[in-house]
Amino acid sequence: MRDEILSRGVTRRAVLGGMAGVAALSIAGRVAAAGGEAPALAQLAKDGKLPPLAERLPKKPMVVTPLEKVGTYGGTLRRGLRGSSDHNGILRMVGNQSLVRWNLEFTQVVPNLAERWEINDDASQFTFHLIEGVRWSDGHPFTADDIVFAIEDCVKNSELYSSTPAQLSVAGKAVNVEKIDDFTVKFTFAAANALYLENLATPLGQHPTLFPKHYCSQFLPKYNPNIAEDVTKAGAGSWTDLFRARCGDIEIPSRWGNPAKPTLDPWVVKEPYSGGATRVVMTRNPYFWQVDTQGNQLPYVDEINFSISQDVESLMLNVISGKIDIQERHISVLSNKPTLSQNMDKGDYRLLSLVPSASQQCQIYFNMTHKDPALRKMFVDKSFRQALSLGINRLELIDIVYFGQSEGYQAGPRPEHPWYHDKLARQFTEYDPDKAGAMLDQAGYDKKDGNGFRLRPDGQKVFFTVDVIPTLYPDLVDALELVKAHWAQIGIDMKVNTIERALYYTRGDDNAHDAAVWPGPGGLDPMLDPRDFFAFHPQGSRYAIPWSLWYTSNGARGEEPPESQKTRMKLFDGARSTADLDKRGAIMKQIFDIAADEFETVGLCLAVGGFGIIRNNLRNVPEKQPDSWSWPNPGPALPQQFSFTS
Amino acid sequence: MLVFIAKRLLWMIPSLFAVSFLAFVLIQLPPGDYVTTYIATLAASNEVIDQNTAAQLRERFGLDDPMLVQYFKWIWGIVSRGDFGISFEWQQPVSGLIWERIALTLVLALSTLIATWAIALPIGVFSAVRKYSIGDYFFTAFTFLGLAIPSFLLALVLMYIAAVEFGQDVGGLFSSEFETAPWSFAKILDLFSHIWLPVIILAVSSTASLIRVMRANMLDELPKPYVTTARAKGLSEFRLLVKYPLRIALNPFISTIAWLLPNLISGSVVVAIVLNLPTAAPLLLQALMAQDMYLAGAFVLLICALTLIGSLISDILLALVDPRIRLE
Repeated sequence: MRDEILSRGVTRRAVLGGMAGVAALSIAGRVAAAGGEAPALAQLAKDGKLPPLAERLPKKPMVVTPLEKVGTYGGTLRRGLRGSSDHNGILRMVGNQSLVRWNLEFTQVVPNLAERWEINDDASQFTFHLIEGVRWSDGHPFTADDIVFAIEDCVKNSELYSSTPAQLSVAGKAVNVEKIDDFTVKFTFAAANALYLENLATPLGQHPTLFPKHYCSQFLPKYNPNIAEDVTKAGAGSWTDLFRARCGDIEIPSRWGNPAKPTLDPWVVKEPYSGGATRVVMTRNPYFWQVDTQGNQLPYVDEINFSISQDVESLMLNVISGKIDIQERHISVLSNKPTLSQNMDKGDYRLLSLVPSASQQCQIYFNMTHKDPALRKMFVDKSFRQALSLGINRLELIDIVYFGQSEGYQAGPRPEHPWYHDKLARQFTEYDPDKAGAMLDQAGYDKKDGNGFRLRPDGQKVFFTVDVIPTLYPDLVDALELVKAHWAQIGIDMKVNTIERALYYTRGDDNAHDAAVWPGPGGLDPMLDPRDFFAFHPQGSRYAIPWSLWYTSNGARGEEPPESQKTRMKLFDGARSTADLDKRGAIMKQIFDIAADEFETVGLCLAVGGFGIIRNNLRNVPEKQPDSWSWPNPGPALPQQFSFTS
Repeated sequence: MLVFIAKRLLWMIPSLFAVSFLAFVLIQLPPGDYVTTYIATLAASNEVIDQNTAAQLRERFGLDDPMLVQYFKWIWGIVSRGDFGISFEWQQPVSGLIWERIALTLVLALSTLIATWAIALPIGVFSAVRKYSIGDYFFTAFTFLGLAIPSFLLALVLMYIAAVEFGQDVGGLFSSEFETAPWSFAKILDLFSHIWLPVIILAVSSTASLIRVMRANMLDELPKPYVTTARAKGLSEFRLLVKYPLRIALNPFISTIAWLLPNLISGSVVVAIVLNLPTAAPLLLQALMAQDMYLAGAFVLLICALTLIGSLISDILLALVDPRIRLE
């Protein structure tokens, strides 16, 4: 499967030595002189309402090799969204047009709006060469000015962004972007930023291509002296509100709420995503800058219709009655698989399998920085955590909750990842209640109360709560209930604390939780989210949020972590500025070694892949895709080359 | 009568203030605020929000102000300019979001009310007049079944049958071509071709209890001397029923109009979500979950206003219908 995809290739490309950076060679190599276009656009061009195709496309448009075969124009692709805050459901399908993008396998960064780039030796300067002649969806040319505007005037504007997004700043200093010529821009960071290309390929890397200067500059005081008037006229609170409402941002609903905003996406908003909308319709961008191998302008599909379901069950009904063409979001949980498989004929679809990028299905984070000294002492004790891990019957848990489709796992890159670390992943995953009991005795929890529960040295019962959000991850509640029973057998009393999502975060922010669970990331993207290898994420590394605050604030806030954490933080900073992949891997191995020794988190089992459906008449869709926010499936599979067979 | 109505209208003003304040406090009660929820959503997709950004967001939304200040800013906007504030989540003025939803909710609520009464009144009267007949038992058993089945389950089953067996479009109140079309006669017709399913689902559960109330009231009235007198004077059975005992028996129906509106709105939340109805309920629920307080507050306020109006209407109707009720 992997080789097959590789040999088909998404674009023609060649790997340049050493770096993860890849440049496309003569991307226009195989374009036929006169390509095709959608019949409706051809008619508009004939009527003079739209310039002819040759004027709408770049001189050398990016060539996309269709996954199966060259498609035919037409059709409306139907997909589902949830009622609230599901803007990223649109982003994943449509908004994937960054300077660079991921390949299908999620292993390499390939050209997108930048056709090639150079990186200096210490990975602090990135020079991007844009495809010449790309146009925004309103026909206005896309140039280096737009990128300079987006970063220098918008992202670095302290009124709009009080601090520059993490991707675009290194060592506390924001990136500097300058125009070399109309189609060349140079990004200069204060220090090495070797991961920048990978970050740029994730959704959060879209800032440089998000704000068209000719449109968005009218909402900035710098370019529009009458901004105050416009703000009042629009009924907005301030110019920043107006800017956000009209130009959006990467991850807010209003990005999809303004049909007037030009974009570089294959489809543009026709019926916006707004409060109370019951559907979102997007229609083809007549200026889209990619073609297939025969020179036909993409996308093939005329429109995308996102229906908004308030309830997953009604979305499932739509799926099994064949009213959705491709869907994995919201329905991808394992428990839906039997229903989805049973109705394949009725709904005329095939199954899509998702390769999880996450590492752990359920990571238990004991709060090692607990405010209560007795609990802190207990959780900090490594043998206590090891004993609890040995006391979990993972086989039973996997059979019951995950239909036997997983294996015991702690943390770390997935088995198929080149950085897989055996000790980190597998230690203490066997079920050995006797050994666990002996270790707990050894650790000073050898007295028991009348119910057989262990007592702490201070005479209190060993008891703690584990926070979990039932609405977000119902399977984690089931898993925890089993863990509770397993732990009761080794004399540990635990309460499954099912709480609402905001409360979960508030408790985390206040460092008020005993323990919490969350799926552990970092399986395929260990560099992008190493929260389980050291205290990296102020909301995510829940075993020591004050330590991660110390790390992210350069020591200004939080609590100073122990030496082993500080070593890993330094190592990771080093890895982040190491361009050479092998060297970077060696540094990460050191981090994994230390993390394995420290055993801070307790994992249950390897993250399980999800499912989705593709209607049988929808072609060119990879039937196996990574499932990740960093690889915002199905976007990097290039929906613009999806096509319906008649 | 006019003085009475005027007095009642004046009383509604302080009531609304009290209610709006309570609603605002209740929405603020859960821990965290909109920014917490927003950060939670972002963190679920592995984004790190630094504390500066969070603080800036709170400042931008005015969440740092004490609650009283936030409340007065909000209520002053409503009173002075009809401005219900901006929805945090959608970055849109709240007033643009709520009116159509409230309108559709009222249409649904009134249709359900009419359907419920149209079913419950005749059956209630029938089973009182023909007490312990086969018909009485049949309807009683049938309506208890309706009461026992949760309406969301009924909705799911009906949707499943419609979608999988008949290939019908289910959910929503409009066909896709009318969904975003401006209002027209054709759109209204389309609305009524879709609204019957939720109306039936919602009516089924409330019908049973109303039938019981009607039956009990009628049974109370029927043996009373005035009925016997009327019958002795030779009034036809139908005229007799409608003219006297029915009027009295209607009393509880009319006096509960005020509660019906909020009941229908809150009672239909699950059904509206399952059936994907563009009414107020799903948006209110979302707003509450996202702690989008101006949006949620506006809904709660309007629903309360409707309740107050409803109770005024039921008082006026009661005075008209029931000769025993007088203002003094």
